[in-house]
Amino acid sequence: MKEICKSIRKKDHDPKIEGRSVYVDDYVTTADGREILTGRLLHSKFAKARVLGVKLPELPDGYTYVDASDIPGDNNVNIVLDDTPVFCRDTVEYIGEPIGMLVGPDKTVVDRLLAEIEVTYEELEPVLDIRTADESFFNYEFGHGDVEKAFAEADKVYEEEFLTGYQDQTYLEPQGMMAEPEADGRMFVHGSLQCAYYVHGAVARALGTGPDGVHILQDVTGGGFGGKEDFPSIIGCQVAVAAKKVGKPVRCVFDRREDLEFTPKRHPSLCKYKVAVKDGRVTAVDADVRFNAGGYSTLSAVVLQRGIIAAPGVYDIPNVHVTGKAVKTNTNPCGAYRGFGAPQTFFAMEMMMSHIAQDLGEDSIAFKERHFVKQGDTTSTNGKYHFPVPVPAMLGEIDALCDLRKKHIEYRKPQTGRYRRGIGFSAVFHGAGFTGSGERDLIKATAKLRKYADGTVEVLASNGDIGQGVRTTFPKIVAHELNIPFERVYYNHPDTARVPDSGPTVASRSLMIVGELLRRAAIKLRDIWQEGVEQEVEEHYKEPDFMIPFYLDRFEGDAYPTYAWATSAVEVEVDTFTGLVNILGAYGSFDVGTPVDYNIVVGQMEGGFLQGLGYASIEKMDYDGKGRIRNNSFTDYLVPTSMDVPNMKAVMHVEEYPDGPYGAKGAGELPLVAPPPAYIEAVEMALGGAKVHPLNRIPFSTEDVILEWNKEVL
Amino acid sequence: MVNGYKPATLQEAIAIRSREKVIPYAGGTDVMVRRPEGVPFLFLNDIDELKQIKDDGEYIRIGAAVTFTEGLKSDLVPAVMKEAVSRIAAPAIRNAGTFGGNLGNGSDKADSVMAGFALDGRVRLVSVSGERILPLGEFCIRRGVTAIRDDELIAEILLPKKNCDLPYYYKKIGGRNALAISRVAIGGVYSVKDGVIEQFTAAFIGGGNVCKRFEEIEATIIGKTVDEVKANAEEYVNAYAESMTFTRGRVSAEYRKTVIMNLLKDFIQTING
Repeated sequence: MKEICKSIRKKDHDPKIEGRSVYVDDYVTTADGREILTGRLLHSKFAKARVLGVKLPELPDGYTYVDASDIPGDNNVNIVLDDTPVFCRDTVEYIGEPIGMLVGPDKTVVDRLLAEIEVTYEELEPVLDIRTADESFFNYEFGHGDVEKAFAEADKVYEEEFLTGYQDQTYLEPQGMMAEPEADGRMFVHGSLQCAYYVHGAVARALGTGPDGVHILQDVTGGGFGGKEDFPSIIGCQVAVAAKKVGKPVRCVFDRREDLEFTPKRHPSLCKYKVAVKDGRVTAVDADVRFNAGGYSTLSAVVLQRGIIAAPGVYDIPNVHVTGKAVKTNTNPCGAYRGFGAPQTFFAMEMMMSHIAQDLGEDSIAFKERHFVKQGDTTSTNGKYHFPVPVPAMLGEIDALCDLRKKHIEYRKPQTGRYRRGIGFSAVFHGAGFTGSGERDLIKATAKLRKYADGTVEVLASNGDIGQGVRTTFPKIVAHELNIPFERVYYNHPDTARVPDSGPTVASRSLMIVGELLRRAAIKLRDIWQEGVEQEVEEHYKEPDFMIPFYLDRFEGDAYPTYAWATSAVEVEVDTFTGLVNILGAYGSFDVGTPVDYNIVVGQMEGGFLQGLGYASIEKMDYDGKGRIRNNSFTDYLVPTSMDVPNMKAVMHVEEYPDGPYGAKGAGELPLVAPPPAYIEAVEMALGGAKVHPLNRIPFSTEDVILEWNKEVL
Repeated sequence: MVNGYKPATLQEAIAIRSREKVIPYAGGTDVMVRRPEGVPFLFLNDIDELKQIKDDGEYIRIGAAVTFTEGLKSDLVPAVMKEAVSRIAAPAIRNAGTFGGNLGNGSDKADSVMAGFALDGRVRLVSVSGERILPLGEFCIRRGVTAIRDDELIAEILLPKKNCDLPYYYKKIGGRNALAISRVAIGGVYSVKDGVIEQFTAAFIGGGNVCKRFEEIEATIIGKTVDEVKANAEEYVNAYAESMTFTRGRVSAEYRKTVIMNLLKDFIQTING
């Protein structure tokens, strides 16, 4: 293990353990002693309606209603497109859409007044079904080879549909933002967020101030997992507009029900796969991918892009055709969640490969193995796998952990009795960093180091620590290159007034991209280091020379410079009396390049693995016939506990990436992607295999197991 | 702000209870989540008389303010009760939650109450006008409704000693392995002498809007030989299923019915003797 991998105590360890960290809801007054008003949102009660009027109760002194008419700038939140309003326009497009905000000193009074507001609506017919929704925000199509010819020449053609559900990020700290008008006229917005500069751009636009009129600080943030990529821009604009109107600090913190019901989740998907097989080999994949975007487009474009690029999985398939649609429905807008579109398509492709193998009478691990991509092969977008693909070795690693290959054949044999066993396998990649040329064309990251006269060094970057440890790993890299103690390098939560734009905290990019900028900056600083004076160095992102340029209009080129890889196995025992699935073991091998802090990375792998298992099994969230999400409490939306997967083993496989710091590449999202198909293959195997009980959707709950099992019995 | 009374004795507590509207508070794990504004608490968690676990020769008596963790540590608490309690929530909640609270909040999914039913348990209620001892089946009326009067407090759960050491069956099905409300649960005890069933109880969560037993069906099982009962298991299970009402909630009615019937069959087949 390299020196840089050795684990150290995280910078935020002590304040968090001792309860000293200040989250946005913890401020009693602002830092300069001003009273903070509470803002609470008036949410739409209908999925699709024209808002005819809002009748306010008599508002006591100090209480103010804020809506779209109060926006000094533009009522469009800057995300990818600009269709999401700060406060609703003439119509509401989903249940929960913010119509306005009530602001005042006492939260109880604000809530009472909010309940007394009468909104008159003209109800319109909502679109709720992903299958029949005919409006798409985004439509993509790409491929390579000659799919039609491959289908015409196939020995057999397989067609199957796969469905995936919502998944909520379930961060410990709910969404919350606060805005403080400052004496110099600037608006200071801070809170729980991942991407300070996203919020910066959005608030400046809503207030119409230009970039210098606002600055944004990330407070200590209790988890994000993607859920705080876009949404803080929306609440950030709302509190800023309210604070502007009343001239006082305003804070809006969601309660858990609001958060579960009205904030972005993973996109539900419907994937239709058509696969040609000739001479026992897959010759073509035609994938039709539909994501349920919800009422506004928010991040759906980029989520869908990552999803469809992964549509053929980790396999070398000569003929590929993919269509992707992000359809509009009158439901809560979906957004980012660890994996970002890829878990949906990997689930479909992995299950498809397993089902084809079962039909051909071949063990699905061996079948998949014959199709694995390798270094030099072409990607789905006619890019190239530039670096070694370690998947075969990683399959060997999990085989060694759990005797995977042997059990995979053993459990296929007919079983009897109440308890049935199964073991599933999956292999996935996660493209490291932004999709396409975003890093080069849009983000253009800059990072700085400032050395003070006393020899301490401050990291200046905009990536937020959301538990993934960048407040620790960034200084660790810098201290390592400068050869000074770790304690002398620090990284505060970013404030856009002080730090350059090193890009958002997304796409498993922070360590790989910004960590490398900081490593190079540290080398530069080392070379010019002078004792006793203040010095500053700066680094800018440069795209690696080997990249094949990516063209989004035709999905051509290298979508990612490199890939993180994972193999996983899940072993289960199914109780056919109750449907309970006992996870006997969960095993993963993960290649994220060099783990810059071993404990942090293993923690990430285990946490993501658990989320992936939850996604596949118990995390059930849906909307009813009116478009309302009913699972809006932790009694109704269950996530796994440590008791649910007591035996989990994560091992690291290191395939160094030359353009990442010390060989590191993207890590954060990878571990969630692989477990769902492994889990479902295992459950399906325990139930007798795809010929009797083909499984093709997640989540697949205890109840689903019984209902599926009864199909045979009845 | 939480306002309330903190009496030192049960006498003081029932005096307060008799004169004004208060919310009895033992562990607070449930009541703190959804308490109505403006009603004071009556804190019972430090009243020594409610914190005892005793053996009076006829009953094991568990005080209302005994926490689940305390119950799990006691040598007096019977095994089926311990198994049920060990599956309640998670350690932090078991450290605070109490036997009295689990019964008093009227939940139809209370795990310790179901185990109490399986043991043919009673509840002792006290008030300024005296005390009442009710079978659990009379105390639990339906979800959210119990037979407690506004002036009464739960003092103890009484578990007949003759049932406490019998072989038992217990299975809980929740949404996950910890911090999960029972979707379906079943618990029961039995005794067999010379191949004949002398005692048989089966209590259920998920077979209606209240935790319950079906004593008329139990009576048809008691007195039969083990072999007869096993041979006719299907019939008994159907009789149970017909007596229950299965409703859709977090899971479907069909799921609850299937699982209850499967587990009941399993219970019958595991009877030894």
